[in-house]
Amino acid sequence: MKKIIFTISFLSLLTLVAPSAFAQCDADEYAEACIPKLKDGFNFVKSYSVDGEGGSKAKVEYSYVFAKGTQYFINICSGGEETDGIVVSLYDSTRKLVSTSDANGKLYSAIGYPCNATGIYYIQFTFKGSANHCGGAVLGFKR
Amino acid sequence: MRNLCFSLVVLSLYACGPNKDAAEQAILDSVDSIAVETPEISEDVIADIIQQIPSPLEISVLLKESGSAYDYSMLNPDDMVSNYNNNFSKALNLGIYGTDLGYTNIYKENQDALGYIGSIRDLADGLNIGQFFDFNTIRKLATNSNNLDSLLLITTKNFNKINTYLQDQKRSNLSILLLTGGWLEALHITCQVYKKNPDNVVLKEKIGEQKIILEQIQLLLSLYESDPDIKNLSAQLKDLQGVFDQIEITTTYAESTFQEVDGVLMIVDNSTSSINITDQNVADITSITAAIRNNIIN
Repeated sequence: MKKIIFTISFLSLLTLVAPSAFAQCDADEYAEACIPKLKDGFNFVKSYSVDGEGGSKAKVEYSYVFAKGTQYFINICSGGEETDGIVVSLYDSTRKLVSTSDANGKLYSAIGYPCNATGIYYIQFTFKGSANHCGGAVLGFKR
Repeated sequence: MRNLCFSLVVLSLYACGPNKDAAEQAILDSVDSIAVETPEISEDVIADIIQQIPSPLEISVLLKESGSAYDYSMLNPDDMVSNYNNNFSKALNLGIYGTDLGYTNIYKENQDALGYIGSIRDLADGLNIGQFFDFNTIRKLATNSNNLDSLLLITTKNFNKINTYLQDQKRSNLSILLLTGGWLEALHITCQVYKKNPDNVVLKEKIGEQKIILEQIQLLLSLYESDPDIKNLSAQLKDLQGVFDQIEITTTYAESTFQEVDGVLMIVDNSTSSINITDQNVADITSITAAIRNNIIN
């Protein structure tokens, strides 16, 4: 009887603990923590969770209407100082690549985009040699 | 054995997750007067389209920087809140007041901002989303113009959270109405400012650009046309879309380049877009927008 009680209690405990203890990525937290890192002078618009689900998800994508004459700024955040291999790429409404933070042989943690053509843009996050596949980003604007 | 059974039941209930969600959902269902069929399109797709809609704050910043003076008479007076008695009008007018609050914040008109904060609280409470506003903090920030950045940040964050929450609760219809109201108010204000500054090409183009946003909004509303109020709103916006259809947005693509500035990768956008919009287009948009808005706020 003791064994049964112990086994059931252990399994029940596992059920309770599992969702938090084995959670791989709190991307929302990274996204929230990223907001203060927005460059001075930019107004906060949105924060984005970037959860690569431990590597099983190759990309995370959002979209936003960028307007001509407005400058946008995207900042990537992860656990450390660097981006942990998170790359942000910007595509225009026809899916042509506008630019990527994977440039000059390094991964930039921030990109600035003074928009000249109004339209829907796709903000795509991918992972390059990422350890945690987990992070956040923030989008801001200024005129 | 009895103790064991009891423990198991308790543990099972707890392990099933926060039961308050079910209760909360039941309450929300009971208070939500908008009975809509869930659209066949997935909530994720709806969320993707919703998050494309730009912040009305972008327009308020543009208006301030264009040198136009603050004008409270263009806004929806904050004492109209008692007129909004169902979720449809509450959600639309919450969006409208959200834009008005952003406008007053940008112009540092703290006294007016406080009025809107009160109205937003009432509407948000009426929609059971008041928990997302920390009104005490917002009020404190609003009483000091030095806190403008913090105030804008906190209100933007609150509205973002509300949208996410409504989508999680499968109440995206309300989220769409909130965004529609906010967008319509921003368009109305832009048109009114342009009326006084007809030489301002940037404002004229900004009005024309709204063609892209309206297409997204109409797409979202079309998913909920089983609701008669939404169907009616969508029909009114179709008149507006008729005018926007006459406006041409042409984009000329050119490969972008980039340069590093202070550790930031700065993109040099070599593409351009031009907007072909006539004075008559603007006049039609101004009058139709005002009429639709009038139906919503009164």
